[in-house]
Amino acid sequence: MLLVLSEEQRAHLGCLRGLGAAGTGELGRLALELMRGGAPRALEAAARSLDVGTEALQRGLDGISYLLAESSRLMVSETDFQDSVHVLGFSDELNKLLLQLYLDNRKEIRSILSELAPRLPSYHNLEWRLDVQLASRSLRQQIKPFVTLKLHLSENGDQTAQVLQTDPSTLLHLIRQLEQALGEMKSNHCRRIARNMK
Amino acid sequence: QRFRFCGDLDCPDWVLAEISTLAKISSVKLKLLCAQVLKDLLGEAIDYEKILKLTSDAKLESGDVKATIAVLSFILSSAAKHNVDSESLSSELQQLGLPKEHATGLCRSYEEKQSALQDNLRACSLRLSRLDSVSWRVDYTLSSSELQDVSEPLVHLRLAVRRGDGGGMDTVPVAVSADKFRVLLAGEDRAGALLPPPE
Repeated sequence: MLLVLSEEQRAHLGCLRGLGAAGTGELGRLALELMRGGAPRALEAAARSLDVGTEALQRGLDGISYLLAESSRLMVSETDFQDSVHVLGFSDELNKLLLQLYLDNRKEIRSILSELAPRLPSYHNLEWRLDVQLASRSLRQQIKPFVTLKLHLSENGDQTAQVLQTDPSTLLHLIRQLEQALGEMKSNHCRRIARNMK
Repeated sequence: QRFRFCGDLDCPDWVLAEISTLAKISSVKLKLLCAQVLKDLLGEAIDYEKILKLTSDAKLESGDVKATIAVLSFILSSAAKHNVDSESLSSELQQLGLPKEHATGLCRSYEEKQSALQDNLRACSLRLSRLDSVSWRVDYTLSSSELQDVSEPLVHLRLAVRRGDGGGMDTVPVAVSADKFRVLLAGEDRAGALLPPPE
């Protein structure tokens, strides 16, 4: 499937023509570092070494980041990538360089993109306590065991806690249900799907 | 094979693997390491520099140093959790492959601090909220807009409740009439009578 580049993106990538192969390679490396979460300080040093203004450098970075991220996201094939880039009218050398940049780094870019997906709250910690109720205002001489649980969850760095209380038989039922759920993974159906996904 | 210090379960694989790392450190240094780890478990600050110095002879990598601290924390806190005495702990550690001197040194450190550890663990146990203090005041209502001659005592209580997750204090103000207050006190006395006497 072909990448469709808007006018603005084509203008951004147009500045690559002026940089040549070495400059484009440098720009590509910088864009990847930014994607990994690197420091933007390198921008000024790079602008000076490539002999372009910082604004032009930023636009070039935007263009190349978009190109790499979109192609990695859609997993475009080599020929599709080449055709998409061909429309920009670069030299063959530049096209080959961009293709190499894409192929070398697409796995890493895809793993970075996968971490951006929204997450459900995840397990952090479980505290528990076993109590026995001996008497209450309404009834003396009881023996009633119950388990108090505090489930700590974390979601995007925020922590929440949920307090739950149950009697031992419900807890055993809960454990049996969870063990059955785990056991599902060993069934033939799940094993077949897991094998096919690999 | 079941171990008491693991709660009558199998010993975790990672503990088994790290015991051989512990054997690389001399038994004297291991006892000092235990003292540092116990400090950390009891809530005091851990001196990482000292630990690095103690493990430098055995030429452990930084990952191994962290693993050593982790396995010592596990052994000491798990033994305290399951109330294992130091002799049983020593024999179980020797069964896992820890040399006799190392096990003896470790268990001596454990024995010194066992009750302090257990007190600390008891304090860390799950608590939802606790009553911090009660302040009270008794007023005497002379009259009101409804009745000219009221002449009734009124008790004001302020309960300070500390939240279980350490999140601060809530204040609960309660106003109780004299009769209701007597009922409340009587109920409390009866509940108090059911508690075991203080040791």
